Amino acid sequence: MAFLDNSGDIILDAVLTDEGRMRMAKGNFQITHFAFGDDEIDYSLFDATTGSVYMDVTLAQTPVLEAFTNNASSMHSKLMTVTNMSHLYLPILELNEVFAGTSTAKHSSENFVLCVTEDTEDLFSAVTGIINAYTRDDGKYIRVDQGIDNADVPPGSIIDPELNETQYMIDIDNRLGSIISSAGATSARLSFIDDDGIARYYLSAPAAGRFVFDNDIFTASPSTQVISGARGTVLQFRISPSIDLTSNSALFDKIGSTVSVEGTTVKNIDAYVRVTGVTTGYRIDIPVRFIRKV
Amino acid sequence: MAQTFKTLRDSDRTTTRTLLHEMVPITGTIASGTYTDLNIKNYSHGMFQSVYDYPYLSGSANHIFDLTVGYSATSALSASASSQNAKKINIYNEMAQVLVGFDVTGNVRPFDRDGDLSGNTGKINEAIFICFSRLLMKDEIKKGSFSLTVATGGVYSAPEDNLTLTDSGSTTDYRVNSPAGEYGVLYDTRGKRLGLLYYQAGIAVLTASIFGNLSNDAVTTVAGDSDNPLIPVTASNYFSSENGTATPGESSVVHALTGSEISGNCDGFRNRLVTMEFQNTTELNSTIYFCRANHNEFNYSSNPTYLTGSKIRVKGDLADLPPVAYITTIGLYSPDRVLMAVAKLSEPIRKDPTRDFTMRVRLDF
Repeated sequence: MAFLDNSGDIILDAVLTDEGRMRMAKGNFQITHFAFGDDEIDYSLFDATTGSVYMDVTLAQTPVLEAFTNNASSMHSKLMTVTNMSHLYLPILELNEVFAGTSTAKHSSENFVLCVTEDTEDLFSAVTGIINAYTRDDGKYIRVDQGIDNADVPPGSIIDPELNETQYMIDIDNRLGSIISSAGATSARLSFIDDDGIARYYLSAPAAGRFVFDNDIFTASPSTQVISGARGTVLQFRISPSIDLTSNSALFDKIGSTVSVEGTTVKNIDAYVRVTGVTTGYRIDIPVRFIRKV
Repeated sequence: MAQTFKTLRDSDRTTTRTLLHEMVPITGTIASGTYTDLNIKNYSHGMFQSVYDYPYLSGSANHIFDLTVGYSATSALSASASSQNAKKINIYNEMAQVLVGFDVTGNVRPFDRDGDLSGNTGKINEAIFICFSRLLMKDEIKKGSFSLTVATGGVYSAPEDNLTLTDSGSTTDYRVNSPAGEYGVLYDTRGKRLGLLYYQAGIAVLTASIFGNLSNDAVTTVAGDSDNPLIPVTASNYFSSENGTATPGESSVVHALTGSEISGNCDGFRNRLVTMEFQNTTELNSTIYFCRANHNEFNYSSNPTYLTGSKIRVKGDLADLPPVAYITTIGLYSPDRVLMAVAKLSEPIRKDPTRDFTMRVRLDF
């Protein structure tokens, strides 16, 4: 996409997304909400120290790209309505790799490595970050903590209830896997699959499977906590590989490659799982690597 | 509860209808000459001929219009000896039943020069049909914008005597008694009615008599029809390259209609086409969404760069400074929060508690 001409009047370049067109073809196109996004903005260019009209000059000159038609490519970061205008800190989402030692840590390749068959699992014995996604017998899972990651706001303080996440949404390529509880016993309820095959799950606090719950550790506890300040809720889940991955290697051959993991060559598909807080819109992308024995 | 989505109420959306017009000029050299007929597609059935804007075997060629000719079964030209006699009658009947319709007894009505379907006068029994592709005419041809110039005289290799037909006055004077929508009458500069233009169907129907006095070729002239006969046939008044002789009338449009196939007649017409232009019309139905950001809304951002160590950058160290965010994008969402449409601003707009906005996002359908 090109940049929009910003030499004159402010213009709006509006397009239907591919998902919007698909829903129009299906007859269930409906628009009921709007949101504002600021994907292109780099707020580090904002110089609050000047206290003058020049504090945002560079930022305001940011060129804006034309609209993407892929519904998954836009609106990654949204503007937020918060009643209290005097917040100095906002909560974030952070991957917690230390909570349960090796059970919640990534692999040294910076991915959560998911074995999609039992014989793939047999290639690796208790390697940190390599998860038995097929048999689910290793107690490993992915954990995301919400909170204010700043010691200026002590862990014992309470996050403004307005900013506390009680619901998360997870996006994952439906061809690759689905979301299940950290104990592996409960499947998350699928909300929808978009035109690009991206599945979305909404997970709320009281739902079965204990996907979302309050973080009730109010001391610093650096050995188990990654949020250094006030803590909100915790999201934890596992990923179950799809039948397409477990039954044969066709999808690996189509969209994957081969890679060496712990010295063993395996077929792999690299992807990511996107976790977004429904309340604040804050999100993180979690890298995952599906592997299968060659 | 902090929110990133805002509900659109009924008062936040409205619908509008806009007509968009584009000028479509077609030069005669496109139809005949520039591409040495590589842009002309003939079919084995021989019922019509397609004209492209580039050699049609190229993937970048666009279909611009089709040509065909036909005459009524009651035309004096209709005879079993005439070339493709049945096909020419079939073409005429097909176009007539679609564009003019049927009478109360179920018979196909013939084309009428002034649109008055009653009586037997002023009928177009021999016609040339120009069917514009939807790519060109879009939803309809704009009334009063059509102009067609053809050379009615001269030899085949050097046509002359230009005749211009327009639908002048059709913006306020058009007919609605066609099953195919509205249509106007095509006039020459003398005010003679020489054809019809169906706006929504995108079809021009020209009487073949613009290329010759059909009565000189033993076609019965209808008494009292001031629009017929028109142009005297002379020895040099060739229409088609086929059946061409130097004998007066032997190469006239009559001989082309009877002695040449439909494709030969189409070739003759293209050879005499000087220029043609009109404006098309696209009907845009729009929904406008009024995305209102009140002073106390959308002042924070979930952009990862908005925070450093969970601290809001734009506030520095002062909590009492107002939050600031910048809008570059407006997303329109379905009830299940899937992005249905996206609008981009050409430059970021600052949002803080001292400002409120209403962004009008228009979606055209």
